[in-house]
Amino acid sequence: MSTNDKDYGFLRPPSDEQYESVYREPSHYHPLHTFALPVGSERHYQQQYGDMYFLRLAKLKPAVEQVATEAWEGFNIAGEHARRVDRVLDVRQGDLCWVAGTVYMDLPLKPNILDDLTKEHFTSAPPPRRTYLDPSKPELTQVMLEDESGRLRLTGSLLSSTQLVTGAVVAVLGTENANGDFEVVDVKVPDLPSQPRRWNKTEDKKDGGKGKIAFVSGLGITGTSSDTLALELLTDYLLGYTSPSGDEDASKITRLIIAGNSLGSGATLEAATTAASAESAKKKNASKKYGYDASTYNSSPITQLDSFLSEILPSIPVTLMPGEHDPANVSLPQQGVHRAMFLKSRAYCSAPPSGDQQPEPGWFDSVTNPWEGEVEGLRMLGTSGQNVDDVLRYLDFAGEDGTSENNEDAEARIRVMEAMLRWRCLVPTAPDTIWCYPFQTNDPFVIQSCPHIFFTGNQPQFKTAVIEGDSPLRLDGPDASMAEADDSSIPRVRLLTIPKFSETGELILVDTDTLEVEVVRFAGFAGQEEKK
Amino acid sequence: MAVDYSRYLAENVLNEHRTVTHRSLSRALKVHTNLAKQMLYEFHRHENAKKPQSVNATYVIVGTPKLPEKSETNGFHVKEDGDAIMQSSPYLSSSMPQQDAAQEQVSTTSITLVREEDLEDAKSTFQFIASIHIYSLQPAVLPDLNVLTDVSRELALTFPNDDPLECGSQWGMILNKNVKRRTGVRPAAPPAAQLPKTSSSTTTAPVKPPFQKEAAPETTIPASKTTSQPSKATEKTAPVKREKSNLFTSFAKAKPREKKEVSATPAISNTESAEPSGGEDVVLDDASEEEAEQLFPDTDKRASPTDRETRKEREEKLRQMMEDDDDEEMPDAAETPREPTPPIEQPPKEPELKEQASVQGGRRRGRRQVMKKKTMKDEEGYLVTVEEPVWESFSESEAPPPKKKPAVSAPKGKPPAKAGQGSIMSFFSKK
Repeated sequence: MSTNDKDYGFLRPPSDEQYESVYREPSHYHPLHTFALPVGSERHYQQQYGDMYFLRLAKLKPAVEQVATEAWEGFNIAGEHARRVDRVLDVRQGDLCWVAGTVYMDLPLKPNILDDLTKEHFTSAPPPRRTYLDPSKPELTQVMLEDESGRLRLTGSLLSSTQLVTGAVVAVLGTENANGDFEVVDVKVPDLPSQPRRWNKTEDKKDGGKGKIAFVSGLGITGTSSDTLALELLTDYLLGYTSPSGDEDASKITRLIIAGNSLGSGATLEAATTAASAESAKKKNASKKYGYDASTYNSSPITQLDSFLSEILPSIPVTLMPGEHDPANVSLPQQGVHRAMFLKSRAYCSAPPSGDQQPEPGWFDSVTNPWEGEVEGLRMLGTSGQNVDDVLRYLDFAGEDGTSENNEDAEARIRVMEAMLRWRCLVPTAPDTIWCYPFQTNDPFVIQSCPHIFFTGNQPQFKTAVIEGDSPLRLDGPDASMAEADDSSIPRVRLLTIPKFSETGELILVDTDTLEVEVVRFAGFAGQEEKK
Repeated sequence: MAVDYSRYLAENVLNEHRTVTHRSLSRALKVHTNLAKQMLYEFHRHENAKKPQSVNATYVIVGTPKLPEKSETNGFHVKEDGDAIMQSSPYLSSSMPQQDAAQEQVSTTSITLVREEDLEDAKSTFQFIASIHIYSLQPAVLPDLNVLTDVSRELALTFPNDDPLECGSQWGMILNKNVKRRTGVRPAAPPAAQLPKTSSSTTTAPVKPPFQKEAAPETTIPASKTTSQPSKATEKTAPVKREKSNLFTSFAKAKPREKKEVSATPAISNTESAEPSGGEDVVLDDASEEEAEQLFPDTDKRASPTDRETRKEREEKLRQMMEDDDDEEMPDAAETPREPTPPIEQPPKEPELKEQASVQGGRRRGRRQVMKKKTMKDEEGYLVTVEEPVWESFSESEAPPPKKKPAVSAPKGKPPAKAGQGSIMSFFSKK
């Protein structure tokens, strides 16, 4: 080794240097149980989904009407004033008016419930659809506005440039034409809800709160040894074995949030197929077996995840959200992965709930997807990505600008996230095209308060943006926020799309003070050995 | 110290051809990982000076990678930290071109694992290098870097007794003062390590710094739980055995059942001991679960008595039902040990037919005598028809239909005196 190289503290003979213990910043953590479903026998699936739309409309209509009133008060075309109409069926032909309701989109390739009935006759299942749109026949796409009274078909050139999806609550301005369709002149959405101040929920303010929050998603552990190098480096990094002596970032990371898909898709799929094939074999020797059958269940992915978690948990608290491929229920909101899956890590879980009182959040917190909570006083809201993926199937962002394909896709995803916040609806397409629990009394997907950080897991690429609410003067409630300084009353949201770790090896760090974002990338260097 | 590590490395890397990472070295010698990194470096330098290429290393480079060429910035408002602010946008989308965020300059750190030969190449991809250290040493070039992960997996097996909460500072792990770990449940460990570990676990709880802010309720889990732990291992086998004998006695009456039961119990106990308390609570719901149950292996003990009871009840009910149906006394099964029902009741035979049948592995085959007409020409040229017995072979599938009938009607037609099928099970068995 040449002498002019720096030794970086490590490339030198052992020294007698004493290493100080490095301590991690404390984490102020307050999960909200917005998306927790009733447990056990309280959970029913017999209800109709119609109530969800009703609840959503009831909650969001006042908000959107307020926005619309402000915008369209005194609006007139050729002397005709825009009139407000309460129900969609009350729209009169030829009147200039505006009305609020839920969007429903009829798309040619939308999954049909009748497909389920014909499924038995499939020779092979059709591939999952990338989009519900049929670009060759754009006229088949119908946009409708509905409320409890009925439906109104929307038309107009504005629709092609405005992105709408089923389930969003909007107000439209226009007139009904001779065909009975509603010619849309303008569209308004509820826009960002009011944002709680930082340290709203947590009492101990600002004594800590210097630090970073780490996000990762799509660890994609398959249990084979081929994909674990980056994970290994991640472990080293989080535990502080990588950082150059002492002062480094890793100790500032106060919490790791894993946004879904910790297990690889192959792991569950494979298990499913082997289970299916084993099903027939099982029937033959119908002996009843206790415990799981090692031939149909491969436990190594979850064991590996468990050992990863148990290795980092002594140093860093972890919030684990389930995702599409994880062992949790499929329909949103997904409930946390049960701690029984984690033999080693579950020692760090919270105690099981006893009676009515909520247990203190665990050091290792297996939470729901979507999830809402407060970390370091910041309101966080995030999902494992199903909602964004599904909304994108409704929209056509293609060919908008000349940027590259990848970039465009990432851009679209950020826009969809922004749109969700402005619709105030986290999963607008549930229950239409995403499975979800049939809520009866409340729709938790309606965003009540604006988060500071809004993240989506399992996206193809990392992308971030900051959005701001527009009108600081418009207040949604009688809050005292009028008295606050200007900048705190304008909602500012940091949007994050978190890439799949298994593909990109990227960990996202967000500074809790400035909301600045950093990326840490883990990889093995593809050198001469790989080229052979 | 100096002799220590070079001997350890020489033994492992040179003699046994193993891979040693900075973490495995720090674990084995109980030193700080930073020191271990230096040891690896020194050993690598020393050995290769003696004999080039005798030891191969992998490095970890931490730093800022060079950015790929960025083509355009679209001239949007970019803050100094590189964030594009999406202006208070009226509403979504394409009608709002100013929403397009510019390519952002997010600060990126790259942590890259490199083989010795590629070190210079890799360095050239970095704009700024914060640190380089040796990750591992091995006797030859690694064809696949993923092999390194096996080393750390082995680590967990080799040193199962190292509690990271205790040893973390020794290794140079970032420590956390607020860790909450429940003491009741031990992290699963190889069974051999169970006993010494539990004794150490009782001491881990107080290790927590006293100035912890949130008094974790978990730590105050009654001591009884932890103290009862050591007995776990011994208890584990004992209750199960007792259970078995209980079962024997309680099922002495219903003999045919007993066989099933016995085969079932070992199955339970097997899974139970293979992964203590793991298998069962998967089924339980979050709320209904009592974590305390996991602590004790006796869940099956508790489960089986109730099981037994319900089974007895069920049996009782069934019997009742049968009695109602048949209006006849069912003799107690215990008195007549059940024989396998004869496969097929001997049918009333026509006198001239004989049969030789044997049951082989469930299949019944044999020969039987059948009367067949035979026509032949006799010496005088007349056609003569003779009926004569002929032996033909058959197997179960072509069993003659007339035989089935008596078999089906047999139980009904049989007088109650023939009590052979008294057990309920025979009622449900295949006819």
